[in-house]
Amino acid sequence: MGEIVAGFGVPHTPMFPALVKRDGPQCETAQLYRAVAGHLDAIKPDALVVFDSDHLNTFFLNNYPNLSIGVTDQTTGPNDGTPELPPFTVPVSEDLASRLYSFGLQSGFDLSLAQEFDVDHSILVPLHFLTPHMQLPIVPVFINGVVHPLPAARRCFALGQMVRTAVEALPASSKVAVLASGSFSLDVGGHLSPRGQFAGTPDVGWGDTVLGHLQNGRINQLLNEATGERMARAGNVAGELLNWIAMLGVIGDRRPRFLEPQREMGHAYGVWRWD
Amino acid sequence: MSIYYVHKIAQQVAKDPEFRERLKRDPEKAIAGYRLTDEERRALLAGDVGRLAQMGAHGYLLGHFARNEVLGLHMRNYSQRIHDPGSTV
Repeated sequence: MGEIVAGFGVPHTPMFPALVKRDGPQCETAQLYRAVAGHLDAIKPDALVVFDSDHLNTFFLNNYPNLSIGVTDQTTGPNDGTPELPPFTVPVSEDLASRLYSFGLQSGFDLSLAQEFDVDHSILVPLHFLTPHMQLPIVPVFINGVVHPLPAARRCFALGQMVRTAVEALPASSKVAVLASGSFSLDVGGHLSPRGQFAGTPDVGWGDTVLGHLQNGRINQLLNEATGERMARAGNVAGELLNWIAMLGVIGDRRPRFLEPQREMGHAYGVWRWD
Repeated sequence: MSIYYVHKIAQQVAKDPEFRERLKRDPEKAIAGYRLTDEERRALLAGDVGRLAQMGAHGYLLGHFARNEVLGLHMRNYSQRIHDPGSTV
């Protein structure tokens, strides 16, 4: 009886809260997040599944999960000192999280179970702009987008399809939206960052390719092209594209209602709704 | 243990203020207890993130050294160091 009502995709650049504070509500970044937030407010979901890649702040390489679900009633953060973000407590829909976890295991996804964790800027920068009062319960689904080798794009797409099936099998009526957090091309602290910059966009062209596929619903092509090797060339955190791919798996074959890139930053803001 | 303890040290720099201070005060002593290869240890103490990246270290984690200004790194010299292994700028 559950229903998937919308899909969203946004970046999570850690400097954005400070940038918007400095440049005000009319700056491009503030306007783009506001446009997405307007759609989210109009949809009024009961819960938001968030596909996210932890930047080794929540989990570490002693036991780094490729796919994990946070099953708890709340989480906190940011745990990585994001400038201008206060400490937040975010409600988690424990019931939905638990159902996704169980359904996932039954469906052959060997998800790891996270019951006590805090989250970094990659979840809280988007929520800071989209749900600033932190009133909407989330379900964090962590996809490894930063530690190569990455999970396969098709597997992440199938994970999204599983989430859709699980939501549709919910016993009670519930409107669930899904959010993808991340960039298509971005390098942070690595040798693909432009000289003289700590972080940057090594591969604007790949971002354009991804955008074209999203705009025209060329999912199969995107899944074929988004290999680990291709994403690695687009930067050391460009595997965050997998979050968008999982989101596409949830919402199915649809065209975006709204899709605006910040090309030079290697990311975009997208809204998929069909109401 | 292929580069793992380099990553671990970087994570502790970000997460553990007490370790960060010890690393600033006496780098050699602070990392003495970690299972590092001689080459990893030399590159760490030299702040040679370019070499560490060549050895397979993740740039996002190496960046914690610059963000927290340890091992002679900071946001101004990091880019050159990551691009030019052996650089001492």
